[in-house]
Amino acid sequence: MQGFVKENGNYDVLIIGCGIVGATIARELSRYTMKIAVLEKASDIPFGASRANSSMIHGGFDDEPGSAKAKFCPKGNRMYHRLHEELDFKLRKFGSFVCAKGESEERHLKKLFEQGKANGAVGMEIVSGQKLREKEPHTAPDITAALWCESGAIVNNFEATLAFIDNARQNGAALFMETSADGLLFDETRSSVRGVSTNRGNFRAPVVINASGVYTDVISRMAGDDSFIIHPTRGEYFIFDRTVGGMVTSFLFSCPSALGKGITVTHTADDNLLIGPTSVQQAGRDNRNTTVPGLDETFDGARRLVPGIPRNMAITTFSGVRANINTGDFYIKALDRPRGFINVAGIKSPGFTSAPAIAEYVAELMRENLGDVVKFENDPAFVPERKHIPRFIDLPNEERARLAKSDPKWGQIVCRCESVTEAQVVEAIRRGARTVAAVKLWVRPGTGRCQGGFCSPRVVEILSRELGISPLEITRHGGDSYMLTGKTKQPLLPESAQ
Amino acid sequence: MSDYAGIREVDVAVIGGGPAGIAAAIAARKEGALKVVVFERDWEAGGILQQCIHPGFGLHMFGLELTGPEYMDRYLKQAYEAGVEFALNTMVFQMDPPAETDGRKTASFWIMSPKTGIEKVHAKSVVLAMGCRERPAGALGIAGSRPAGVYTAGTAQRFVNMEGCMPGKKAVIMGTGDIGLIMARRMMLEGAEVVAVFEIMPWVSGLRRNVAQCLDDFGIPYYLEHSVCELHGKDRLEGISVVKIGKDRRPVDGTLRFVGCDTLLLAVGLIPENELSRMAGVEISPLTNGPVVNDFLQTSADCIFASGNVVVVYDLVDFVSEAGERAGSSAALYAMGKLSKPRELPIETTPNIRVVSPQKLCGGRDTTVFVRVAEPIEGRCRLFAEPGIFSQTLRYARPGEMNEVKISAEKFRALPETEKCVRIGIEAF
Repeated sequence: MQGFVKENGNYDVLIIGCGIVGATIARELSRYTMKIAVLEKASDIPFGASRANSSMIHGGFDDEPGSAKAKFCPKGNRMYHRLHEELDFKLRKFGSFVCAKGESEERHLKKLFEQGKANGAVGMEIVSGQKLREKEPHTAPDITAALWCESGAIVNNFEATLAFIDNARQNGAALFMETSADGLLFDETRSSVRGVSTNRGNFRAPVVINASGVYTDVISRMAGDDSFIIHPTRGEYFIFDRTVGGMVTSFLFSCPSALGKGITVTHTADDNLLIGPTSVQQAGRDNRNTTVPGLDETFDGARRLVPGIPRNMAITTFSGVRANINTGDFYIKALDRPRGFINVAGIKSPGFTSAPAIAEYVAELMRENLGDVVKFENDPAFVPERKHIPRFIDLPNEERARLAKSDPKWGQIVCRCESVTEAQVVEAIRRGARTVAAVKLWVRPGTGRCQGGFCSPRVVEILSRELGISPLEITRHGGDSYMLTGKTKQPLLPESAQ
Repeated sequence: MSDYAGIREVDVAVIGGGPAGIAAAIAARKEGALKVVVFERDWEAGGILQQCIHPGFGLHMFGLELTGPEYMDRYLKQAYEAGVEFALNTMVFQMDPPAETDGRKTASFWIMSPKTGIEKVHAKSVVLAMGCRERPAGALGIAGSRPAGVYTAGTAQRFVNMEGCMPGKKAVIMGTGDIGLIMARRMMLEGAEVVAVFEIMPWVSGLRRNVAQCLDDFGIPYYLEHSVCELHGKDRLEGISVVKIGKDRRPVDGTLRFVGCDTLLLAVGLIPENELSRMAGVEISPLTNGPVVNDFLQTSADCIFASGNVVVVYDLVDFVSEAGERAGSSAALYAMGKLSKPRELPIETTPNIRVVSPQKLCGGRDTTVFVRVAEPIEGRCRLFAEPGIFSQTLRYARPGEMNEVKISAEKFRALPETEKCVRIGIEAF
């Protein structure tokens, strides 16, 4: 990766964090001629809450009318229905149900329905429990009614985040991985920001956008704005084998309570079954551990919606940490002093849905407030379309045959469970994947039922070959997460040869 | 269609070039099938035995203690002599439900290789021999972080024996499946420290001889009724939490402890790989997770046969080879239109039997039914098949080891017409 350079260059705008918020902003700004750099602390994208969530594109009925969430969510939903084609990430229009049990929850459905209408959500209808079970035969018999929302959709959240940053990079944005924002640079009077200091040296720019997820309050305090606090809130999930993915065909919510939207059950964009999340506030921002009570709560909650979910078909568990904010709503603000600093904070659910709409808003905010320091000139070379790496598993046999004929690497399966070919892995590495986890996020080897049992030795080998480094240097997810610790037969060698 | 490399017509197609598939292919040729092709996704035939460089294979079959590669070598030589064809580095990625041509069912599937691209294969009969895979950590719902250094034992075995790399320096083994026991010793031999083996059940799930040869001989401690419940470490594994499990199957208060290690190897069960079988529409048993078969090792689809660990997870490779032979010769007879089934009776078992394979009997030839008990019986017991087919006294019966019930075709055929099933069981004295 990039080494330390005292001055890492001059830019017009720096974006801290490459989750869905940072990635969509980078892509939006890459329409203009400005020089953009995105600074990401992790070794693979997406890393924080953008990686570990329900991958739902919400309809927009959940939020209090008048709130920023209510404004951005339905708009974001509409944008995704267009963007997934433009940027080629997986989005599937499954629709969603909010499931109610009994009269008081049914009253809540009515409230959501009205709220949705006020927010501009489309395709909503309240249906009977009977009707729900006709479409979703595995749902619990005691569900009495459900709110259907046709515009609810599922994305592959890894692909979506990668698609935005990939397109931004094609249009000239720079991405710096394993680069953590340690401090801000100001002019002498601290009236304007001048850049960011990092473990890789100083990056200079008159505009700094804080999209650092659970760290937004920490970075905001560096700029002197301590008006909000992030409460990291953990959610735990299970993923189930594709063979039971068909137990549901849409996104099922429990009726929301004071605690949040509750446990959901969904058919993912890649045909697995996903259940979760719990909602537990915690002290650590980086603690993504799963817990025994958390996993039990997830499973029990999901079974209240779909009683027959078989626990022995689980293939993995994970947890994500949401950037819940003490003020409740999204906090998006350009500071007056220091000038040039923009907070995009508290982007929790429906944050993923809202992100493209937020990105447009941030661009407007910049143009209005900082138009004098950054020029908004349309880049004539801007290309809005971008292609993902072809997904072998989804291709018809004719297309598979064509690719296999064009390059033998397309004929070489690396991951049996998800039918990933060597060509896909090589292309992911060419586009920036450097770790086993990054390759997995790009093209999915290791996401299937054997969880990397067969393919991880192959992925290590290909990474080592393509990057020209020893297999011993390959990590799972950066840092010290080495996959291997040495060569065999070392005890037999003299110490000098080890 | 121009990008397809073509269509291949074969008599018996064998999917999987491990011990089951190769034995099946040899038997199919010997039975008289003309074109017999083994489709293998790895670069070499041999399956998992390629990486099993320890001895212990072939005691039943050859009366010798061979290593995995030595055992396979004997079969591969026979296969070449018998005229078996191999399609290596060739993945069967799609199977179609059997079609009916001229009143007989035939099979078809799709293959891909870097050399020839995509081809379709038509086969008069198929032997499924895809083997099994290991249950991964994620499936267990272990709490904690997601560090590097957590591998299934078989993946670690591949790294050590095939790639010449060490997956870690200080290992804990979770589960007492045979590969876990073997890898405990293997890691030790390569200079790694093996702290302990933990097993959640009150008994070892692998072979007793492996406990003696891999753990006891190397002073590696193992703890029954212990569960690894949490992983620690951000980048690389730094340790695990382990807890004692009581008779009520719940953690015992006050027994939680931390064990430092940089590697956790899992040997917590094998799952038959039946994705292709499902595509073909073959009936799968929820108990074995493999196809339901009769003693011809014929599945619910007439032209599809199955053998080895894809049907039921065996304890010894010798039995896998034996099953492969039976499936291969049956598949050849079917391909030649010579397989006849005079009568088919289901097998019923006593409740202490967890696994039985095959599940149905036709009595075409003398055959072996394999059973595993659900819980150990430590003491003399009787293994039987009734009415009046088989009876044997055993010194013990353990879940880690399979028991063989010999069924004589003659006795089976002599059963009165009124018999509706064969009862197999084990009873303690």
